[in-house]
Amino acid sequence: MPEKGKVLVQVKDVCKNFGVTIALSHVDFVVKTGEIRGLIGENGSGKSTVSSIIAGMQPASSGEMAYKGKPWKPKDVLEAQAAGIGMIVQEAGTIANISVAENIFLGSYQKFRKGPIIDKKAMVTEARKALEKIGVTHINPALPARMYDMQERKLIEIAKCMYNNPELLIVDETTTALSQSGRDIIYRIMHEMADAGKAVMIISHDLNEMMEQCDTLTVLRDGVIIDNIDKADFDPDDIKQKMVGREIKGNYYRVDNDGYSDEVVLKADCITTMHSLLCFDLELHKQEILGIGGLSDCGMHTVGRALYGLEMVVDGEVRISDRNVVVKNAQVAFRNGMGYVSKNRDTESLELNASIYNNIASTGYDKNSTGPFINPFKERAYVDKQVRALMIKCQNAHQPVRALSGGNKQKVVFGKWCADDADILILDCPTRGVDIGVKAAMYQLIYDMKKQGKSIIMISEELPELMGMCDRLLIMRDGQISGEFFRKDGYDDRTLIEYMI
Amino acid sequence: MTATSSANTSGKELHLNWKERVDVIRSNRWFLMAFPFAMLALIILIFGGATGGNFFRVSVLKGILSQAIIIGTCATGVSFIYSNGNLDISIGAVLGMGATLGVLAYNATNITPLLILVSVGVSLGLMAFNCTMSVVCHIKTITVAIVVTQIYSAITTLLIGGAGTIDIAYETSSMLEDGGFRYIAFFGYFILCLVVYHFTRIGRELRFLGGNETCAQQTGMSSGKATYVSFLMAGLGVGLAAVFSVIDVSAVSVETGSGLGMDVMLATVLGGMSIFGGSRSNAYAGLIGALTVAALNKGLLMVGVPSAFIQGIRGVIFLALVYMNSERRDLLPSRMQF
Ligand SMILES: Nc1ncnc2c1ncn2[C@@H]1O[C@H](COP(=O)(O)OP(=O)(O)OP(=O)(O)O)[C@@H](O)[C@H]1O
Ligand SMILES: [Mg+2]
Repeated sequence: MPEKGKVLVQVKDVCKNFGVTIALSHVDFVVKTGEIRGLIGENGSGKSTVSSIIAGMQPASSGEMAYKGKPWKPKDVLEAQAAGIGMIVQEAGTIANISVAENIFLGSYQKFRKGPIIDKKAMVTEARKALEKIGVTHINPALPARMYDMQERKLIEIAKCMYNNPELLIVDETTTALSQSGRDIIYRIMHEMADAGKAVMIISHDLNEMMEQCDTLTVLRDGVIIDNIDKADFDPDDIKQKMVGREIKGNYYRVDNDGYSDEVVLKADCITTMHSLLCFDLELHKQEILGIGGLSDCGMHTVGRALYGLEMVVDGEVRISDRNVVVKNAQVAFRNGMGYVSKNRDTESLELNASIYNNIASTGYDKNSTGPFINPFKERAYVDKQVRALMIKCQNAHQPVRALSGGNKQKVVFGKWCADDADILILDCPTRGVDIGVKAAMYQLIYDMKKQGKSIIMISEELPELMGMCDRLLIMRDGQISGEFFRKDGYDDRTLIEYMI
Repeated sequence: MTATSSANTSGKELHLNWKERVDVIRSNRWFLMAFPFAMLALIILIFGGATGGNFFRVSVLKGILSQAIIIGTCATGVSFIYSNGNLDISIGAVLGMGATLGVLAYNATNITPLLILVSVGVSLGLMAFNCTMSVVCHIKTITVAIVVTQIYSAITTLLIGGAGTIDIAYETSSMLEDGGFRYIAFFGYFILCLVVYHFTRIGRELRFLGGNETCAQQTGMSSGKATYVSFLMAGLGVGLAAVFSVIDVSAVSVETGSGLGMDVMLATVLGGMSIFGGSRSNAYAGLIGALTVAALNKGLLMVGVPSAFIQGIRGVIFLALVYMNSERRDLLPSRMQF
């Protein structure tokens, strides 16, 4: 019988600063065997920082930790891995240009060494086993990781983590990048681990998910532990209040039933792409918020990319109706009043080394120019407006984006496209990783755009968000639209899910 | 079950160790701007002391200034290429060929403006050729540069012929040197660069593309156009620098432009700019860095360091600065950009 309730990890008086930014201030908490502990808090509250310290990715500035009763001071991730602590990170944790198998065994190629060469075949076989262990069979470990989408890449990371049989698994803000099938895999693994007397720490901004899956919640705010709450005492309003330090009220989603105009602004006419889509049709109307939902591999992300000219369209065309332009590539799309928030924010939507200022300003060079020159005053106002509206947590706008927390990076992406004021905006998982307060602000901004006559396509893994915001909702399956629903008729999540699978 | 719940994060809790303090200073914007000036001041002080004040003689300072103008013009131009995420080391050879053809054209016709026009025109043409090779054939700019450097040098040697140098009339060169042409051309070019770099759409785009091309393209930026603009801006600078080199010594030789590539790279990093592209760049970086490099070269010579060692010392300084400029080690693994 596995022992439960014993202290596995103890964090004592840990502080961490990055320059003058205090990320953690005297943090104390314990993780016990047999429990699933949730870490919850606003963007930039220090969740990733504290977990990455436990997992050996960076040292604390001060304070102590203990693991299995002994002092714990890992010098790197490999040491933590070997000792039984594995972490699935918030950002991309796989390397695109090496194979899946190499990703899984990154840093431990030694055991496949046969004399001077690495036995690739043995590595692939072992990688296949690692994937099967978490119940994934559709990923070929011999292929390069870039062949796979974000969900599959996350599964690869999970396989990598689980291969080492960790005692403590840390899952940082991963579930919001996954569709239900991916989430189910993670939940199953988490519960199996807890039942076996191991421990799990999970970070997520999805409060419902956290309340369902976790045994205890630790609430962080501005680097300080606010409270530890047991399952019996879970109360959403109380948790929210503790997270933000004030009461959250008002409408989360829109409540109106305003329709949209009949005018078609964007039309995909029987488009076929290299993968996923075969003769796909879509019409977007003026003032419409069009939602697209489905499982991760249903092709909905490809639709977004193809509409913005990022995916090669081998047959058919995407046309911006009023300007009568065919969207051949992203430049054409951008120049003709379109915008696109990518799901891969780090690689596609941000210049990580540039400042918040330069990232947001990048969509507005034309708008902020006087004659041939950029007007610094206009530009500054352009940027400041977004930093304020989205409450981006930073020292100042000249901080490089890479030093921001995950959710704050997402706010920068959203901000630059809000500022752009595009007529047609394609949002792929726009609220991924942002906390509830800011989510509400984003929904309001999206709704304001609609009222100003813009048209929005919202692609999301999260059904509640789609149901809450969309005028019309398309459900996709296997690259095709399997159902179309209208806000005026009301949405029913059970029916929607039926059309997904 | 309630644990600690005091939410005070006052400034008092800021206990930084020395390494963190250094990091704070290092990442401060104003520090980054002041650093190059401090380096220059330091070098001047060191050599001023080491040479017992000889370093401050007018002739020495004039020599340094002449050198700095040549290096600075090139470095300012090349900074466009660097911040666009490309490298080009062929500028020395381009300068040599531009200067040679300029001199030949002038000597054949005796028309002074032709010296300038041909030097600049040839440099622009050669840089455009480099760029076309890499844009059209999808070859890395550095690879193109390595190949064309050989070709351009060979052509220059051929043009100059057996003597190894061609003189121009001293009156012409001193007229151009003292008649204000040099300063007007230099400052005009510098201001042009500054404006293009910071206050035009293409200047901003160029830097953004250097940082993350995928992201830049999704915001409508075109990398081909930016690459051309960066190479042409550099070509213009190299062409002017070619004229400056000719009027500096009243001649062109097979040695003209050699070693310039290294000087320019060193000036760039001394000026506080990254040679790996992206947003952390300034147009004035090249200028201030050029003064530092010119002072360093001259100072080392004056204190009697053999020129073979000078190369080595500059190499070490270069590597140290590049290392200091790379910030990867502060990054969370989870924040890395793969
Ligand atoms: N490498 C770094 N350099 C500077 N500041 C950093 C760095 N890493 C984190 N920070 C800062 O530390 C604070 C905490 O960040 P952390 O990533 O832990 O937040 P988080 O709780 O995970 O937020 P999110 O929900 O957005 O992921 C933030 O203010 C962030 O800007
Ligand atoms: Mg985080």
